[in-house]
Amino acid sequence: MPSTAAPTAVVADDERLMREQIVGRLREAWPELSIVGEAVNGREAVALVRSLEPDIAFLDISMPEMDGIQAAQAVAGQVHVVFVTAHDEYAIKAFEQGAVDYLLKPTEPGRLAITCERLRERLKGAPDPMNELLAQLSQRLGGGTLKPREYMRWVQASVGTTIRMIPTSDILFFRAEDKYTRVQTTGFEALIRKPIKELIDELDPSEFWQIHRATVVRVDAIEQVSRNFRGQQIVHVKGSPERLEVSRTFNHLFKQM
Amino acid sequence: MSTDQQNPRGSNAAGRGQGAGAPPRSTTTQEALREIRSGVSAMWWGFFDWLAVVSWKILILVSFLSLILVGGVFHYPTLVFALIIASCIVKAVAGAKRKAEVTATEATKRADTEQLERTVLEARMEALQAQIEPHFLFNTLASIDQLILTDPPRASRMQQSLIRYLRSAMPQMRDGKRPTLGQQVDLCSAFLEIMAVRMEGRLQAVVKVPDGLKSAVFPSMMLQTLVENAIKHGLEPKAEGGRLEIGAEIVDGRLAVHVLDTGLGFAPKSDAGVGLANIRERLKVLYNGRAELIISVPAEGGTCATINVPYEIAAA
Repeated sequence: MPSTAAPTAVVADDERLMREQIVGRLREAWPELSIVGEAVNGREAVALVRSLEPDIAFLDISMPEMDGIQAAQAVAGQVHVVFVTAHDEYAIKAFEQGAVDYLLKPTEPGRLAITCERLRERLKGAPDPMNELLAQLSQRLGGGTLKPREYMRWVQASVGTTIRMIPTSDILFFRAEDKYTRVQTTGFEALIRKPIKELIDELDPSEFWQIHRATVVRVDAIEQVSRNFRGQQIVHVKGSPERLEVSRTFNHLFKQM
Repeated sequence: MSTDQQNPRGSNAAGRGQGAGAPPRSTTTQEALREIRSGVSAMWWGFFDWLAVVSWKILILVSFLSLILVGGVFHYPTLVFALIIASCIVKAVAGAKRKAEVTATEATKRADTEQLERTVLEARMEALQAQIEPHFLFNTLASIDQLILTDPPRASRMQQSLIRYLRSAMPQMRDGKRPTLGQQVDLCSAFLEIMAVRMEGRLQAVVKVPDGLKSAVFPSMMLQTLVENAIKHGLEPKAEGGRLEIGAEIVDGRLAVHVLDTGLGFAPKSDAGVGLANIRERLKVLYNGRAELIISVPAEGGTCATINVPYEIAAA
């Protein structure tokens, strides 16, 4: 794409004022650069880069649908990318390695001039695929694939006629009942359709323990474990009078230290 | 110099001593009597408190020991016996009341410390919640920077909204009075005006709070957190944006304030819960179980967050 013709660029930002700003200031700093398209989210930006094949893409980092990092990953190697961000310490650190450039909003004309100078140099070569930088960035921003496993933090359950989001930290235990699973909190109970078998896979094992085929209890809610006359372990939970049986399979959880 | 100073003081003291000693001797005896009386009374009340708090088991044990010791060794069994009987009667009759008094005093002391601890904890958590997001601040300043070139009157209005927002969002800028719902709604309105300029057609904000409820007491920065969450997690990441509504009503004598958005909705695995967890903790500290935060999913999608607190009018 680098050619003797006038260089081209696309600008992506979800806020119109911010697009106007960068376009206006680029016009002053680099009159020969022609802005061939503007996008309002990451997905549009990718489509524009693919269809218009510009030399440069100015991408805002936080955008709906697809953020700037994801968009850059999608078009890596096809275009020179400059990130534009209001405040992003991680991004700034990463960019200091000099792989691509970044601009802070509001873009200062002086700083923009340096960016344009850098871009003129870069346009002589092929765009950097930025693999390492993008992987690092997306990991730091929490949007990448290297994230630790995510567990359920909220349970969506019906209470009466409304659907409520109950934080898992409020839940004392789950108990299988006929077709439903009962969610017990200190103040109320709710029903969900998800069976215990599926629930246990989605709950954080350091937060919830299965103690019976039909029961999952939040570890922090356990007050004490006693034994009944048959020697069976019984879990007492803070904030509920209900007693929960521990089946033999899960006895090892409460072995004495 | 120093001897000069010491001398008059010494003579002065001597003179005073003489003055106290020389006139009627009865004053000293009276004073001594008064001292003895107060000493005895202090001893008696000390004994009384001990009697009240001590368990019957220990009282019997002590009685038994003193019977052996005083009664057996010093041969005063009747006196000791009378004392024991008197102790038992005193304990039975007045002990329970005195014991209640003693425990009540202790409980008050403990409650005072707890109240203080709660106040400190709440102040710390409030400060945590009042932190202004740098991303919001810099984006807003960047927008104002652009508007100064293209639409100066609008830039000025936006800057005024920002000032209004900052003034009420900074904890050190608030007066010591209990925050009202009206103040919290004003703060959110300033925030929403800014976001409406930035997001344009993607944000339709509606505030449906009756004027009559604006004087109600409502904790600071909670509504703000709900509104910020609705925009950050609900509307901003949604390409077409949507509607945000702040509403308040009295339900069963309680004040229910909600923030509803038609955004992306709540992902069960999302950890957007830091701000919400903070609200929950603060409500616990402030209202001791008489307030709650409920997150629900409206039939038409999006998210609805409701804070329920006891309805109270702020003192003028």
